[in-house]
Amino acid sequence: MGVAAALVTMSALILLTGVLLVEAREVLDWRFFLDPPSRVAAEGGVGPAVAGSLWLTFLVAAIAVPLGVGTAVYLAEYAPPTRLVKAVESVLTNLAGVPSVVYGIAGLALFVRGLGLGPSILAGALTLTALTVPLVVVNCRKALQAVPDEFRWAAFGLGASRWQVVRDQVLPAAAPALLAGCCAALLRAVGAAAPLLMLGAVSFTTFAPGSPNDPLTALPTQIFAWAARPREGFLALAAGASVALLLLMAAMHLVLFAHRRRQKGTWS
Amino acid sequence: MTATALSRGAGNPRSPGERFGKHVLFTCAALSALLGAAVIVVVALETVRFFGRVSPARFFGGLTWAPLAEEPGFGVLPLIAGTAQIAAGATFLALPVGLLTAVFLRYYAGGRTASVLNAVVTLLACIPAVVYGYFALNYVTPAIRSVWPGVEGFNGISACLVVGLMILPTIVLLSREALGAVPNSLLEEGVALGATRRRVLVRLVVPAAAVGIAGSVVMAAARAVGETMIVTLAAGNPTGPTWNPLEGVRTLTTFLAQASLGDIPTGSIEYGACFAVAAVLFLLTCGMHAAGRALMARGQRGTLGAVRL
Repeated sequence: MGVAAALVTMSALILLTGVLLVEAREVLDWRFFLDPPSRVAAEGGVGPAVAGSLWLTFLVAAIAVPLGVGTAVYLAEYAPPTRLVKAVESVLTNLAGVPSVVYGIAGLALFVRGLGLGPSILAGALTLTALTVPLVVVNCRKALQAVPDEFRWAAFGLGASRWQVVRDQVLPAAAPALLAGCCAALLRAVGAAAPLLMLGAVSFTTFAPGSPNDPLTALPTQIFAWAARPREGFLALAAGASVALLLLMAAMHLVLFAHRRRQKGTWS
Repeated sequence: MTATALSRGAGNPRSPGERFGKHVLFTCAALSALLGAAVIVVVALETVRFFGRVSPARFFGGLTWAPLAEEPGFGVLPLIAGTAQIAAGATFLALPVGLLTAVFLRYYAGGRTASVLNAVVTLLACIPAVVYGYFALNYVTPAIRSVWPGVEGFNGISACLVVGLMILPTIVLLSREALGAVPNSLLEEGVALGATRRRVLVRLVVPAAAVGIAGSVVMAAARAVGETMIVTLAAGNPTGPTWNPLEGVRTLTTFLAQASLGDIPTGSIEYGACFAVAAVLFLLTCGMHAAGRALMARGQRGTLGAVRL
């Protein structure tokens, strides 16, 4: 029984990736990754969407990761156990479970209309930041809590200050888990389609976004636009865009874990 | 820490480095809290404004949802029913496969099998929802229709199947965590008393982890409730309320996704309706997550009381 269930799980993944690759094989070439979408299915590409997703990844990583890690460190190592701090903790924990589409609608009111950014890359990045920060905080708090207290006591006992304990003992010990936690949160942000759709992302643009103020376009919304078209040629494009998105996520994973082998230290 | 660092007074709580670290971290926490509060406040404010025009009784008691009709209906119950239909179906499909995979992973799989299976589950968890949605609409639905021609192009079955696949990793990973809280001695003692391994697992170990497993199921169901792209692509958005899973389903999330929000003027009644629906979604998933977390925490403390031979 257990073997059968495991096989179902495995075959689902194989089927999914197999279907994507077979369907996308006609469109996958260098031109596809660089060209803009076209009314003629055979000429379409994901150039602007790839550029948009790269912008979003870069901006979210630059804003949400430091913010989230800093918050987690403050909450885990510094914060006094006051009622306010506990409230902040519980709000962030709860926000981590809220569906992404809710962030989309909040982002529309806050950033697209409130700050008057319009449906731009920047508005998309800020919305995805709001979605990512709680996830980073929750994941990183777990990573910091997994560091044994003996590490802290030993360092305090040697006369280290709190900042020295955090910088020299806790952060290095938790680094692999922190990295994994940030990576998981970022991957979720890069794959999110619903919030960008709510902001009014465009799926038909002829030029790649060159600055954060350019119109919002990204791979997930591009996949959505093509997948919802029943006509034959666009299915291959949707599959190709899906492959592009999965490649981007794999690349992020590789970049983040390039140093993993060196960091493989454990404590018992 | 080196001697020079000590002599420079780096360990002094009043040293610049020390204060810098603390202030930067505090600022991060304050900004994160502010961002989270902004999201909650904006949804709450627009919802309150909406309730000023449509009474909560009409919203929670009405039976038709048609914000754009000439005689608009703002009853949210049909949307909640659609959401419940998809979430229940997906959880029902994912639970047996997920739980058995977790048991296999913890008690049967050897080193290499376990690491491959782990990687597969993690990869399934990483695949974006919109890719699952594409798969559901263009492959799962045609496959269902070839066996069962009565099914419509947009249908709840396909959505349930694929949402079930999407929440499978949640059930596997969290159930395995729940099983991890059951002491290994339980299995060893059961086997030593002469029961088969399988019998001990079915009668002792899984019941002992039941509370934690229930927690994992609630967490997975919460993810299914919030799933947007799969349901929108596979189940479409029919205008009337439907109860038939062979037809399209309308949920809280598909309404939001298809409201083409970018074009709705700020302050219009439909704009408010979107926020009210988002607030319902928010409270629903928060409540389910809190319940799931509580169950998982209770499972970690161990509840052998549930075990009966």
